[in-house]
Amino acid sequence: MSAPQTARLTDRVLGELVDALGGEYVLTSKTARMNRARVPAPFPVHRWRERIPDLVVMPATTEEVAEVVRIANAHRIPIVPRDGGTGLTDGAVPERRGIVVDVKRMNEIKEIDLDNRTCTVGPGINMLKLNEVLARHGLIYPDDPASYPCSLVGGRIGTSGWSLVGSRYGHTRDLVLSFEMVLPTGRVIRVGDGGGRKVSKSSSGYQLKHLFMGHQGTLGIATEATLKLYPKPEAEFSPFWAFADFDSAYACLGRLARAGVATFAGAVLFDEWKVDYLRRDDEAYIPQPADVRALVCAAAYGNEDEVRAGGKRLMRVARDAGARYLGDEISQGDWAARHDRYATPLHGRTAAGQVAPMSWHCEDAAIAYTDLPAVRVHWHDIITRLRERHPVFDDWGMFFYTSADTGVDYLTEIDVGIWEQELDDAAWAAWVEAKRDIAEISLRYGGSISACHGSCREGEVDLVPMELGGGYDVMLQVKKVLDPNNIMNPGKYGLQRAYEETP
Amino acid sequence: MNGYRYDEQHTPPPARQVSDVAVERFEHIFEVDPRLMTVHVAQQLFPNWDTLRIAASRGDHLEWMHRHWAGTVLSGQELLDEIESEDGR
Repeated sequence: MSAPQTARLTDRVLGELVDALGGEYVLTSKTARMNRARVPAPFPVHRWRERIPDLVVMPATTEEVAEVVRIANAHRIPIVPRDGGTGLTDGAVPERRGIVVDVKRMNEIKEIDLDNRTCTVGPGINMLKLNEVLARHGLIYPDDPASYPCSLVGGRIGTSGWSLVGSRYGHTRDLVLSFEMVLPTGRVIRVGDGGGRKVSKSSSGYQLKHLFMGHQGTLGIATEATLKLYPKPEAEFSPFWAFADFDSAYACLGRLARAGVATFAGAVLFDEWKVDYLRRDDEAYIPQPADVRALVCAAAYGNEDEVRAGGKRLMRVARDAGARYLGDEISQGDWAARHDRYATPLHGRTAAGQVAPMSWHCEDAAIAYTDLPAVRVHWHDIITRLRERHPVFDDWGMFFYTSADTGVDYLTEIDVGIWEQELDDAAWAAWVEAKRDIAEISLRYGGSISACHGSCREGEVDLVPMELGGGYDVMLQVKKVLDPNNIMNPGKYGLQRAYEETP
Repeated sequence: MNGYRYDEQHTPPPARQVSDVAVERFEHIFEVDPRLMTVHVAQQLFPNWDTLRIAASRGDHLEWMHRHWAGTVLSGQELLDEIESEDGR
């Protein structure tokens, strides 16, 4: 069976959707559709129209989502779930148009279970808003992306999100105990660790939660989630330190991550390129002396006595590694700003040093500690060559952030400013090539193409089969079994090849 | 109470060059050097009170974020002083 390419909605389909949801929640206006055509990841502005969906639906219940999916499946229409639309790998972008299912109306808190420390929510709720309610009970759901004020729980499941405080509390895959999925045929199942809604460890059956975590909309639509809650931290500690060179900062980063401090929530290193970028227009770093060439930050959360004791240990480790403490004002202010990077106004520089409006893009990977220095050199070389050919790109530096509490691997990211209005087809092709080169380096050093953002976009997606090997063949088989008509987010992850005829 | 004076509000304090690419007109409020914003971006006219309001709002936002995440924020300087005092004993 061939995959749908450019299915168009007929009056009959529209009528069925209106019958299922009511006319108010079937949106066909240009505004409604254009607003859901893209995500913050860069894209050539002149090709924007290629991704405008045919219509948008806003269901309120699992049953309504299931009905919409059944209709789409019956008529072979592409269907793409959209939560906050803040992802960086185009998961919510309707590449084959069709129906976008916007879940923002499904934002209720269905239950807060104080005894078992869980809550059950709709996928359309935002973590910040959820935590405002949980704070009344002294609790927190510590899933903390850079898009914390604007991303939604369902999108965090769809992308298997990475959290700034993941070294302490785990990431989305650890914090979501179970969730409900509407499969591409309209069937509703619940996946978790075993069958229970509130089970954190089971040895019963396959661990299907992890199959659907990070589905990028290709295996269905998450419609409810049960989440693990923690006591709201009594105390926070977030020291920033300066170093005269990358190597000293790198050594300190490793020591902090390996120190075994129980309240340790993460540590991050900013390299010289990142410091140069920050010196342009970041209030904390403009006044720093020239011998500040690399930065390290650590974060700790928990009960005050424990954070205090752990904090002292971290300060001692850093001091012994030659760190210079940057002071309370920078440390506290800069850390608070990390929860909300999507609100940061951005501009890059041309080769002549003039300010130009640029959007932020970041390429990331999961890389083991010992390979970070080599990967850093390769990635900067790739972007330097790109900028030499196309000055619409600007290297905004790299950072390396602990993903776990032992210091094994790091979210490794290079930030690149892109002057989207000037992005023509040639520059876009060069960008895609650079992305492919970056992904190739990650694999060459035994890493994964993405720790955080996903690997669905042009460029890196070509290398996903190389990364996963035989596992990618299993992905193709799973996709075809669960989505026989390839309606769920077709075109993503190269999964259309599951439907190609073999000779 | 001072009245609103349009001219006064639209006459920013003189800029002090704090780096190759940034100036400071109000204490601790840094601005990109206007010489770098002459070709591809247009600068907006800001009354002085609005510049100060934006900076204060940012401070409020960061304070809010601290309270949102934890009951208290520990001082690194305080912990560092304790360490040095202990080491000196």
